[in-house]
Amino acid sequence: MKPGEIQLKVWDLPVRLFHWVLVLLFAFMFFSGKVKGDWMEWHMRAGYAILALVLFRILWGFAGSTHARFSSFLAGPSACIAFARKLLARAPAPSAGHNPLGGWMVLALLLALLFQTGTGLFSNDDILIEGPLASLVTKARSDQLTSWHYWNFNLLLFLAAAHVVAVLYHAGFMKENLIGAMFTGVKRLPADAAGGVVARFASPWLALVLLAVAAIAVYLIVKRPF
Amino acid sequence: MRTKLLAAAISMGALGGASLEALAQAKPDVLVKQRQAAMTLQGKYLGPIGAMMKGAAPYNADIVAVNATYLENLARMPWDGFVASTQGEKSKTKPSAYTDAKFKAAADALESATAKLGAAARAKDEAGVRASFGAVAKACGSCHDDFREK
Repeated sequence: MKPGEIQLKVWDLPVRLFHWVLVLLFAFMFFSGKVKGDWMEWHMRAGYAILALVLFRILWGFAGSTHARFSSFLAGPSACIAFARKLLARAPAPSAGHNPLGGWMVLALLLALLFQTGTGLFSNDDILIEGPLASLVTKARSDQLTSWHYWNFNLLLFLAAAHVVAVLYHAGFMKENLIGAMFTGVKRLPADAAGGVVARFASPWLALVLLAVAAIAVYLIVKRPF
Repeated sequence: MRTKLLAAAISMGALGGASLEALAQAKPDVLVKQRQAAMTLQGKYLGPIGAMMKGAAPYNADIVAVNATYLENLARMPWDGFVASTQGEKSKTKPSAYTDAKFKAAADALESATAKLGAAARAKDEAGVRASFGAVAKACGSCHDDFREK
């Protein structure tokens, strides 16, 4: 550590688990969506899991630890532009939580995932497989949503690639170990990087409760027992 | 008696290629509608068998025999609608379907898979039906993957 640097815990366990489980599931969706065939049943199950995780993360974005909350990392245009200038100049601009651009990427990814899983629920393969809500709409509508489901995956790939490139840029050029931080939860930062904000960490038990709420919501959507 | 009628239907289907001359006069948009209709009906008769394979419906050998036979005939029908004159029509068919030799291979794969399924179904051979069903769904899927727009 350089002088003037401190170790600061920024990412709670729910955020870190959410992130890495999502990475694994996303990789599986890429594979299962391409190969299809016998993998479609698991593709759909993993889709339900991703939907539950995304719903959880949205709830956690309102009720979770400081740096997990949308209110803490969604920045205005001037902050974003100022940050972008620093990035291009490779000037140091460490942030305790998500930086202004990264924060909007989080939202973009969550919304794109929501759209992907949402359209998936209504999709059909024109042969034998259809999503659990496909029977609620006309075939024409289901076909339209299926088309969007396919094309939105390209958007997701682009966003994910941009995200990876950005993280590598930060690691390589800005000397910020963002990847390690998403494992350990701890960032090495200049002492003033937190900007006076003292992070509060929400209880992991609350996270479990919210995850259960999300899981129940997905169950109700998929099984429609009512 | 039933088997004879069904066998007659199959052989008439096999001779269907002879009507290609007459079809050359048909309007392109009609040809597209007809080939789509054949595939829609393929889905109609595949569905109940698929449900039985998954266990979502009880196995009914009579329904399987009828459906698989319809499917076997329907599987032969779409192909003469994929002629060059239809390329300008609105459809999800990729341009490569009209030129790539793999398109005919995919069509043949569906015909042979449905023939196997049909034979097992008419022989009331449930094990044979279960063994040959996967190849039918796979044939539909892989042709779509290669030649149908997302």
